Amino acid sequence: MNATEKTWPWVVLLAVILIGVSAATWGAIAKIDYQWRWYRVPQYFFYLAEEAEKTPADGRVTTVVRNGKNSTVTLAAENGEKLQWQVESGSLRVAEGEEMFAGDTIGFTSHWRLGPLMYGLWTTLWLSAVSSFFALILGLITGLARVSKNFTLRGLAAVYVECIRGTPLLVQIFIAYFFLGTVFNLSRNVCGIGALSLFAGAYVAEIVRAGIQSVAKGQSEASRSLGMNVFQTMWDIVLPQAFKRILPPLSGQFISLIKDSSLVSVIAITDLTKAGREIITSTFATFEVWLVVAAMYLLVTSLLSQVVYYMERRFSISD
Amino acid sequence: MIKAVNVTKIFPGRLGPIRAVDKVSTDVARGEVVVVIGPSGSGKSTFLRCINGLETFTDGHIIIDGVDLADRRTNMNNIRAEVGMVFQQFNLFPHKTVLENLTLAQCRVRKRSRKVAEEKAHSLLRKVGIPEKAGEYPSRLSGGQQQRVAIARALAMDPKVMLFDEPTSALDPEMVGEVLDVMKQLAREGMTMVVVTHEMGFAREVADRVIFMDEGRVVEVGTPEHFFTNPTEERAKLFLKQVL
Ligand SMILES: Nc1ncnc2c1ncn2[C@@H]1O[C@H](COP(=O)(O)OP(=O)(O)O)[C@@H](O)[C@H]1O
Ligand SMILES: [Mg+2]
Repeated sequence: MNATEKTWPWVVLLAVILIGVSAATWGAIAKIDYQWRWYRVPQYFFYLAEEAEKTPADGRVTTVVRNGKNSTVTLAAENGEKLQWQVESGSLRVAEGEEMFAGDTIGFTSHWRLGPLMYGLWTTLWLSAVSSFFALILGLITGLARVSKNFTLRGLAAVYVECIRGTPLLVQIFIAYFFLGTVFNLSRNVCGIGALSLFAGAYVAEIVRAGIQSVAKGQSEASRSLGMNVFQTMWDIVLPQAFKRILPPLSGQFISLIKDSSLVSVIAITDLTKAGREIITSTFATFEVWLVVAAMYLLVTSLLSQVVYYMERRFSISD
Repeated sequence: MIKAVNVTKIFPGRLGPIRAVDKVSTDVARGEVVVVIGPSGSGKSTFLRCINGLETFTDGHIIIDGVDLADRRTNMNNIRAEVGMVFQQFNLFPHKTVLENLTLAQCRVRKRSRKVAEEKAHSLLRKVGIPEKAGEYPSRLSGGQQQRVAIARALAMDPKVMLFDEPTSALDPEMVGEVLDVMKQLAREGMTMVVVTHEMGFAREVADRVIFMDEGRVVEVGTPEHFFTNPTEERAKLFLKQVL
């Protein structure tokens, strides 16, 4: 991109292609006569929940003070206790002097609540974060084992990596849940995190191994020649240099993990994908919900990419 | 100080075993400067790397200050801390500043406090003539400066012996002198040194003894005087004719 004046035809071409694809999609949808119901979507992010305020004891309402939108209700209970509520003025069910019995409704309050999409997103995020953490530890240990001098360690690591990389994640999740989960009586969350961690750990191990091997041999020789032992050399010299190089593929792996975590919805963990499926069964807004779910994944992954990009620039100071 | 007895190193090469070092025996006394010369592939680097245990040897003994490296019970980390090594490619740690390059092993291996290590580092940087570069990363330094930092890094451990493996071979010609000057100064101060080099001028000026190696063997040993004026071996004569 050296000559700006020469890039504009390509920008136009890009725009034309994108608009063309959008138009074609639009046309296809118009053909099947789909009823868009976007208005149904926002409530699955946030919704206003009404809650009835009920008195827990018998008593008499002493005062009802209106202060605009809300009202304060005070009740003198039979046992001498004084109880107080804040309810919305429009929803008041009581007047001053009224006798109340336990369980009677005083009025209503409403609160903003997180909808299933937000809960799903939260589940996806923490599942991915926890799995990433374990995958990183597992991958680091396995990666180190892959380059170790000990044959048994190398062999174990190789078997693990090959088994995981040679089988589909979906099958691994099934094995974790229906086999291991049953045998060891594990919860679905443990099975899901376990499967995701084992899966990502194998890929992290390969990234770590490649990273370690990419550090010039002279670096560890220089370190060893100063009397530093194997662990100090790994920790102070090799890993920091390897880390800079493995950061891009590593972050790519973790971003993949966020997307791959959608597969745990098959063992009934209510992540973002499962939340989407549940909403569709009650709204039939299939297209809208899947588009929104995709956009939420995209938002998270691109935010993460930005963070990684920033970190890479920070780490490149010494080059 | 260093006693090598019939040191042999055999690599399992693709076309059969390679005798990189073949029954090399030599003594290096305290304060002595030994220069090892010889054609490429004659086993000079391998021999040097055996002395600080970067390479294990197949047969023979290397005894440093009474400790036999061939003994399995010998802690190689302790040996390496006592034997400084300077590499052809400098091998500075690129993710650490010059100062950190000099202090890291002092703190980790010698267990010195940061303050003590930094004082030592600064005084060594003054000694090699680049006190102002302490805060820089190695990539910002010229080749000659990097090699001088590498020498200072090895010296920071207070080694009993310094090994140099072609320390000026990767340098632009105009920077060779500044590195050789540091090495000459070290030699004058009485440091025990084993130097693999193609710098014949340095060998002639500083060496107490010259060892000529070819095909893994010591072919000729002598004072620089003897070696450069009338070597006895044909191969040494041939080699000298090529390099001088
Ligand atoms: N790690 C190794 N594996 C196999 N062969 C090696 C290895 N290192 C050195 N050699 C061989 O040993 C011989 C001596 O090498 P080297 O000690 O580097 O010689 P010099 O430093 O004198 O040039 C060469 O034939 C070289 O190919
Ligand atoms: Mg060499």
